[in-house]
Amino acid sequence: MKKFIIGGGVLLVITIIVVIIVVIAGGSSYNHLVSLSQETDKQWAQVQNVYQRRADLVPNLVATVSGAANFEKSTLTEIADARASVGKVTVNTSSAPTDPAQLAAFDKAQGQLGTALSRLLVVSENYPQLRATDSFRDLQAQLEGTENRISVERERFNQVVQSYNTAVKSFPTVFFAGMMGFQPKPYFAAAPDAQSAPKVNFDFNHNSPGGATAPAQP
Amino acid sequence: MRWLTRNFLAALLLFCAGVTLAAEVIPSLPAKYFNDYAGVASTATANNLNRTLEDFERATSSQILVVIYPTMPSDSSIEDYTVRVAQSWRVGQKGKDNGAVLFIFSQAHKMFLQVGYGLEGALPDALCKRIIADEIAPRFKAGDFDGGLTAGVNAILAATKGEYKGTGQTVAAASRQDAGDHSSIVPFVIMVVVFILIFSVSRRCGTLYRGNGTSSVLGGWISSGGSSGGNWGGGGSSGGDSGFSGGGGSFGGGGAGGSW
Repeated sequence: MKKFIIGGGVLLVITIIVVIIVVIAGGSSYNHLVSLSQETDKQWAQVQNVYQRRADLVPNLVATVSGAANFEKSTLTEIADARASVGKVTVNTSSAPTDPAQLAAFDKAQGQLGTALSRLLVVSENYPQLRATDSFRDLQAQLEGTENRISVERERFNQVVQSYNTAVKSFPTVFFAGMMGFQPKPYFAAAPDAQSAPKVNFDFNHNSPGGATAPAQP
Repeated sequence: MRWLTRNFLAALLLFCAGVTLAAEVIPSLPAKYFNDYAGVASTATANNLNRTLEDFERATSSQILVVIYPTMPSDSSIEDYTVRVAQSWRVGQKGKDNGAVLFIFSQAHKMFLQVGYGLEGALPDALCKRIIADEIAPRFKAGDFDGGLTAGVNAILAATKGEYKGTGQTVAAASRQDAGDHSSIVPFVIMVVVFILIFSVSRRCGTLYRGNGTSSVLGGWISSGGSSGGNWGGGGSSGGDSGFSGGGGSFGGGGAGGSW
């Protein structure tokens, strides 16, 4: 009987300790998830900054290039179309996307603009007098720098999303994360054609799916 | 208890191994401001530029570094690789991000000027391109490394001179190490206390509460606490009275490259 009472007391103590552990673990993993989630939002803002920076370069670039005698009109149209379709994609600007389809749509539109711009640089090889100008050289440096920034911020975005997702899915947080509304977030896909050099393709006659021809204002 | 300790140590070891495996091979932090690992510059120029750059940090707090390697130890593109290196060295002051690193790979005849977030205004990509293409590359092409390096450094310093105010000393000289964030230790201490409590209680009760279930839960929890503590540990960097020490700056891929 005495043994039973001691055993019950010990059980009670253990139960209380377990409850304390659960509360502390839940609380600390909640705080941890909040800070990781904010980190992904911060990095998402950074990703959008660098993409916006590239979009802002487009009018300047088009103006400089179209000044060159009979520059490929189709290349410029393609850039204008891509720039316009980038403007049409609506994403949540304040927090990292949770819907993979939304991120994919954003990525696809931006990818088209990137391809169009890199094609412009390739086509400009045919215009030595244009390439010799200071303004074109400056623009090219800005464009290259912007592409570097984009790849850096994308990579960092994937890194912070990865540590967030790892935290959401790992033990013991996985028991609390869903209840507290933390869902895994999607990554940027590594675009296979972004890794290789731009292909020179002089088939400029096909129509782009966007269909818009007016250059969008930033 | 021994089983737990071993479990904890194993988890810690695994964590450390994971970090080493995941990390890219990045050259160690340079000891000076001007670092010629390829032996292309004269000693006089090297000493002169090193002193100039060290004085520049005292005066402006901006950290400008020159590193010359014979080859680039990576398969990545130069802009990708150098931004990772500059970021891992944490060149520039924390919060200001006012660092810049001029990377030169002498055998590949390539260079890249990486600019920290805080100097992107003073050193826009187009200006970096001009400095490299107009100041450095023509002199390198003519074999005048001393002249190209001096002209390049002078152009970078001229562009960044008015951006920030210095404290009169370098990060390396200050070499004050942050004591670290103690708040992260508190939950760990609580865990240890609770653990000791449980242990003493279960010991008094004999074999009943020594089950594997409790131990493994605690073991997993403690090891995860230990590993997240490790993430916070990478803050400070110490240095001697002279020489270079990164201040905690960040890089976002700004800058430009070129070849000769």
